[in-house]
Amino acid sequence: MREVLFIAFSLFTIGAASGVLLSRNPVYSAFSLILSFFGLSGLYLLWGSTFMAMIQILIYTGAIVVLFVFVVMLLNLQTNRENSSNIVFLGVVSASVWLFSLIILRVLTRSIPNKILEIPENQLRTISKLLFTRYLWPFEILSFFLLVMIIAIFAITRTQEIAHGGEK
Amino acid sequence: MNFPTSITYWSHFVTIAMFALGLLGFLLRRNAIVVLMCIELMLNAVNLFLIETSMRTNTPDGIILVVFVVTVAAAEVAVGLGIILNLYRLKGTVNLDHFKSLQG
Amino acid sequence: MEWTDLIITAVKTAVIYLGMVQVVPIMLIVERRGAALMQDRPGPNRVGPFGLFQPIADVIKMMMKEVTVPRQVNKALFLLGPFLVLFPASLVIAALPFGDYFTLLGRDYLLQVANIDVGILYVLAIGSLGIYGILFGGWASNNKFSLIGAMRSSSQIISYEIPLGLAACSAVLWYGSFSLREMVYTQEGTFLGILPNWGFFYQPIGFLLFFIAAFAETNRLPFDLPETEAELVAGFHTEYGPMDFGTFFMAEYMNMATMSGLMVAMYFGGWHLPWVSDVTLLQWLGSRNLLAALQVVTVIVKISVFMLMFVWVRWTLPRFRFDQLMRLAWRNLIPIGLINLVITALIMYFRSAQ
Repeated sequence: MREVLFIAFSLFTIGAASGVLLSRNPVYSAFSLILSFFGLSGLYLLWGSTFMAMIQILIYTGAIVVLFVFVVMLLNLQTNRENSSNIVFLGVVSASVWLFSLIILRVLTRSIPNKILEIPENQLRTISKLLFTRYLWPFEILSFFLLVMIIAIFAITRTQEIAHGGEK
Repeated sequence: MNFPTSITYWSHFVTIAMFALGLLGFLLRRNAIVVLMCIELMLNAVNLFLIETSMRTNTPDGIILVVFVVTVAAAEVAVGLGIILNLYRLKGTVNLDHFKSLQG
Repeated sequence: MEWTDLIITAVKTAVIYLGMVQVVPIMLIVERRGAALMQDRPGPNRVGPFGLFQPIADVIKMMMKEVTVPRQVNKALFLLGPFLVLFPASLVIAALPFGDYFTLLGRDYLLQVANIDVGILYVLAIGSLGIYGILFGGWASNNKFSLIGAMRSSSQIISYEIPLGLAACSAVLWYGSFSLREMVYTQEGTFLGILPNWGFFYQPIGFLLFFIAAFAETNRLPFDLPETEAELVAGFHTEYGPMDFGTFFMAEYMNMATMSGLMVAMYFGGWHLPWVSDVTLLQWLGSRNLLAALQVVTVIVKISVFMLMFVWVRWTLPRFRFDQLMRLAWRNLIPIGLINLVITALIMYFRSAQ
């Protein structure tokens, strides 16, 4: 059962992910992205991490992709053909990506500890405890980083307004 | 929970496949928004690997790392899309081939 | 899992889902009669006794109409739109607790489709997906009004998810659990001896935030900016035919019902009757299944009260302007939510320090 579900979710995820870069229309890309995130969250469920599966849907599909779709619709892009680079470049890039992936796969799978372990009963509690003890400083820095990002986004939109004012 | 080795192996394969797809899209696509989406794909491939490893070895650190990655990804997308909006206002397109002015 | 378990789970799922779908025809008549009551007119009263068969007539009308797909639309996403809205609305119901458990053939079965340990995250996560139906449907309609409706909807729902999440955060902090079932268990008994031990009395600000955000999340008046008929014709569903529109409509009512169910479970004691504990009731009734039935009725009554409130608010308050809507979320609700979260955290800290 697990194997079947795993294969189904994996194929679904990879198929949807390839849809992201194969579709000409950015809206379809965003749609594929949603589907692939769903597949990923299914995989997380399969690993037993309900929390991360929910976070994946809540943040990635519920917020981040909405932003993507919002911008795509705001710009209302025409689906004109991208004058893709020449065939040699495409071949070289594909080949190198393929080689690179193979090398990483070799490195990753060199030593897989095949332990049989049980998942802690209350994973959420463990995570939150760790967040406020061992990872307190990264956590705090992250919150500061988020603040900086908010200000940065405001700054990005602000400069544009000032520039427009200057033109007048 | 029991993790058969074959599933672990193929899970790594899925990770690599997703990362490779993201990288390919990042290098080949010319639409800035799709490029950002491909970056998300790469980040998610890493997340998948981290969660799988974390659950397999029963250490919660990987999951915490994923929480951080998700937060940074959300911020990154917001800023990235803001920049793309500005680029669009500048030239009326988001095709990255049109933004070569530094190449002379 | 045995055969009987599987069958009972399937039956349970079917009963809960079909029960929730019944919200739609009931609300159809309640809303129309409620509007009439508030506007001092009789309302639909011709079909059947007191106009009670009006929903059936409405549905028959919608079914009999010709299904049209405009020529300029993006067909795939256009047809997918209504179902992308209905699908999450149906999924969310799985996490709502309708009662404790009932006994059948010597086994206990929860009165809930799935007892998810991160139930509230599940509801928020799946609930936030309904927006895609509006977004893609509006975009695929290839119509400026629809597109504007879709864009409004996306920015509105993203904005109001934050106060919703903050209120839920405070509640989670208070109950110390993500599970809706655990939350309901905690709310048994009384508070200070007089009030029922309901979340509302501990988290009044959180409830208010949740209540306001729930209106925005379900696209109800006063926050139905995505479909303002005065400025956007009908917003994202301008181009849709009869039954597609009906699907959007169904999803809206089901979302209202789940939001009400969530508020009942989080702030109004779920299946608990005020001042009476489950043990006393069990002694009084003498049967576990009778108690389960009473609990289900309690939950349904509580949900109905909230549904009536949705109707009441709809015909009382005028619609917000879009900038007012955004200002309300970002300048008022989110700071209040943050303050509420901090206060809750402080109270929890001092309570645990004692």
